[in-house]
Amino acid sequence: MNISTILILLFNGVLLGFIYSVVSIGFSLVLGIGQVINFAHGLLFAFGAHIFWYISPTIGYWPAFVITPLIVGGLGFLIEKLVITRVYGQDPLFGLLVTLGISLAGAELIRMIWGKLTKTVSTPVFAVGQVHLVNIIYPRYRVILAVISLLIILFVWWLIIRSNFGTIVKAGMTDSEMISALGHNLPVLRNRVFVMGSILAGVAGIVAAPLWGVKSEMGNDILMLAFIIALMGGLGSIKGTVIAGLVIGIISSLGVLFIPRMVEAVPFILLIVVLFYKPKGLYGELTILGEVTAREK
Amino acid sequence: MNKFKVTFIVTLSLILILGCFFIVSSAAEPIKIGAVLPKSGNYAEHGEMELIGIYLAIEDFGGEVLGRPIELVEADDENNPDIGSRRARNLIEVEGVKFLMGGVSSSVGLAIGGVCEEEGALYLATNQNSDDFSSEGFANKYMFHVAPGMDSLVRGAAEWVAENLGKKWYFITHDYSWGHSGTKWARNVLDEVGAEEIGEIKVPNGTRDFSSYLLQIANSGADVIVLTVGGLDLQALYMQMNEFGLLDKMSAWCTLGNYEDSYPLDPSQRDMYIGVESYWKETPEMIEFSNRVKEGYPDAPLSVASANTYQGWLGMTALLKAMEKAGTTDVDEVIKAMEGMVICDNLRSEATYIRPWDHQFLGVYPFVHDLQVEGVDIFEILFTYLSKDYARGLSENPVRLTD
Repeated sequence: MNISTILILLFNGVLLGFIYSVVSIGFSLVLGIGQVINFAHGLLFAFGAHIFWYISPTIGYWPAFVITPLIVGGLGFLIEKLVITRVYGQDPLFGLLVTLGISLAGAELIRMIWGKLTKTVSTPVFAVGQVHLVNIIYPRYRVILAVISLLIILFVWWLIIRSNFGTIVKAGMTDSEMISALGHNLPVLRNRVFVMGSILAGVAGIVAAPLWGVKSEMGNDILMLAFIIALMGGLGSIKGTVIAGLVIGIISSLGVLFIPRMVEAVPFILLIVVLFYKPKGLYGELTILGEVTAREK
Repeated sequence: MNKFKVTFIVTLSLILILGCFFIVSSAAEPIKIGAVLPKSGNYAEHGEMELIGIYLAIEDFGGEVLGRPIELVEADDENNPDIGSRRARNLIEVEGVKFLMGGVSSSVGLAIGGVCEEEGALYLATNQNSDDFSSEGFANKYMFHVAPGMDSLVRGAAEWVAENLGKKWYFITHDYSWGHSGTKWARNVLDEVGAEEIGEIKVPNGTRDFSSYLLQIANSGADVIVLTVGGLDLQALYMQMNEFGLLDKMSAWCTLGNYEDSYPLDPSQRDMYIGVESYWKETPEMIEFSNRVKEGYPDAPLSVASANTYQGWLGMTALLKAMEKAGTTDVDEVIKAMEGMVICDNLRSEATYIRPWDHQFLGVYPFVHDLQVEGVDIFEILFTYLSKDYARGLSENPVRLTD
């Protein structure tokens, strides 16, 4: 083991962390705003990857990169309007079960449309090749993806923290009834947040597709990770999600050196440790169960 | 007519009628065979292709054996030993199945083999490759191993790999029974072929991102990455080895790979040296078999017969031939009929032999290079070998399933 290996693994961990954060941000927002444990997030992620795989050879990488999240956002709009509106205000476990059902049915739909075999997304021409870091070569595409992920995270941060829309969204997390009383349309707000979360899931699918392959089960692979990062970072907290994503990315990457057989357990262990000391997550202001308890009172 | 005569005629008529019903129902009673294999998860495509092979074998027998129709009862093992063994037990105890086959994951197959031993049902492990299936502690008289063990797959290729690809080996091991088996056998032959171990990484089942592992290997100085990784994890690993430029510096030897793992890749992502169990273009008979898959199952994940398809076919064919030879569906008699059986019409260039003392199927296996070409002919066969020349012999394997 030498210092250059540690440094490159650290770098890899940071890049992975940005990618994990993009995957998790949408999930965290829907969980924070709507108090819905949206297990359909993995399905939307898988749809994003499949739609991108399907249309990008025809229309090109960048047009597909723009169109795919919009299509997935449309799917999210339908899911929210037809199903999710019925679970707001109910026990969060009910939302979990409903969205889990959507996820399972949706995965079967993906298999029916696109088949069971794994598909691969080729690296776009502009990103082919490697960059030289210290004495290691590193895929150029991963560096570009990490930069794209960071830009998306910054945009979402600006939207939530700096814009009027974001102010209302944050207020809605704390007191949805007050938001309604002030004349804001709560159902429309929730729908917009769900659509935003869906768009982010679609983008995450595009990001992940060339790295991990495109298959109907890929939503399951990412869902638990998104759930862990959202809880660890704190519901609806952009900052918390990013920090949690980075922590998991870095520790998982470096963990290969010391505990390679336990790397898959790292996110779970970190979650337990964080929630033990901070039940609302690193930067969360409420818990799901706490919110339900307050409402019941 | 007096009362006695009437009673006698009525009774005799009833006996004859009941006897006819008994004969007719016995003749029509189907022989139930269970197929426990993955229909979801990591090996779903492999399971589906295997099931096609099983159905094609039933079709070859006209759908019946010993004058009785064959009824295949399917169950999803979900790639989980607990679920697989529970479903196998359900097939035996509830459905009355006495013959089971199928599966891809070795840990699931070993669990099912244990259940079959308890219940006295015959089990053919068709696509699992851990040599535990024919090893002491796991092998039992009710279990047959259709797929080649890692002993023959690794030893059959090791010398060629050392001479042609390099002698500094870095192992990537899927962290479960089968993965350990492959790496163990590769380690065992290091001295024999003049190779040395540079390092090993064990990766959990379900790993999708290998970037950190590959970064460690990149500067290790290895010539050959020896992979014993399977399913979706292997596809992700193939993609990422290319992504990290590893195949520009070293070669990859996949101790066991499947067509399902290489075919979905972009052609530019292929350049592996792979031990396979069969290839659809090996012989004219295999090509014809493959055409049956394409024509009969247009919605199948693949349009050619994969090794999973072939071994599903071979397992069912062997079982039905054994029933015919035994003339009965009594499990013990069928086991005896299967031991020592030679199957010449197995679509290959060499016959399949079922070795009696460890219930291991022995045959011919190709070693291939996957090509950066479009289309379905993606493997170049570099050489073939007989597993009987490389499988563990009597002196290496203490198991004795027959006297």
